[in-house]
Amino acid sequence: MATEHVHVEEHNHPGPRQYVIIGAILAVITLIEFGVFYLSIDPALMTWIILVLSSSKFLLVVGYFMHLKFDDVRFSGLFFAPFLIMVSIAVVLMALFFNLTR
Amino acid sequence: MQYLSGIDDHRTSTGLDNRKMLMWAFLGSDVMFFGTLIGTHLIYRNRNLSGPQEEILSIPITTISTFVLLMSSLAMVLALAGIQRGNMGQFRFWTAIVCIFGSIFIGFQMFEFTEFAAHYGLTPRTNLFGSTFLVMTGFHGTHVAVGILWLWSILFASYKGKIHQGNSLQVEIAGLYWHFVDIVWIVIFGVVYLIGAYGAEGRALEDAHHAARAVGIG
Repeated sequence: MATEHVHVEEHNHPGPRQYVIIGAILAVITLIEFGVFYLSIDPALMTWIILVLSSSKFLLVVGYFMHLKFDDVRFSGLFFAPFLIMVSIAVVLMALFFNLTR
Repeated sequence: MQYLSGIDDHRTSTGLDNRKMLMWAFLGSDVMFFGTLIGTHLIYRNRNLSGPQEEILSIPITTISTFVLLMSSLAMVLALAGIQRGNMGQFRFWTAIVCIFGSIFIGFQMFEFTEFAAHYGLTPRTNLFGSTFLVMTGFHGTHVAVGILWLWSILFASYKGKIHQGNSLQVEIAGLYWHFVDIVWIVIFGVVYLIGAYGAEGRALEDAHHAARAVGIG
């Protein structure tokens, strides 16, 4: 029955094959970030590209490796509520005191 | 069957395991902790009166250490998949890989800190960049070190029969912590290293351009 409980928990989780695919995607995105860094482009554009790529990696790890995509939605609430507060405060502070592209 | 009652004891009126809820609540608070450190670093960016700043960051080396940490996350999730399927060999192999990759990451960080101190004289006392950057990355490194010790202890406990398929939730909770350390680094690598160093290069080019104009060769 203990094993049953464990199986219910992992029922919706991806398998090792999917994990390896996600890992490969993460590695490719990191390589793209590295390549983008050496392009001579506008710093504002570069900033947005890196933010999008980093966010993709963040969401892949949180969603698949940490299983938030498959687990109870209340776990997502426990994590993303403070995360959104933190991001909001950081954005406001940066808007007041700082320019990210310079 | 003794551990079965242990599992049931951790169920709450929400139907969720209280240990897992605690870990997610902790990670939520840790998000705000790191948000403060990263935000402080960004706000004080380019406000140094003297000393080195982002131009000293080595992107190739940090890309490799980032890759190592990402792959440790992959190893962590494979270790969890192993124990959830009752494959203790797979669990032990991948947990050891996580610990090794985590140690390699710490090694990269120690190398970076040593290089900064030896070649550029950068310490937390040097300037605002030194204070905010070293505190932020130092705290992250401390989190990685704690994660390594936690996972080694789980690995040893598995040899004593204290970690098994029936209580794989303990591995899942340690894994959540490890992945969290990974996502914090994803943010630091993107925002502090890549965007920061790119901005520093852009500023250096602009300054050179202005200097050339000032002497009439630009």
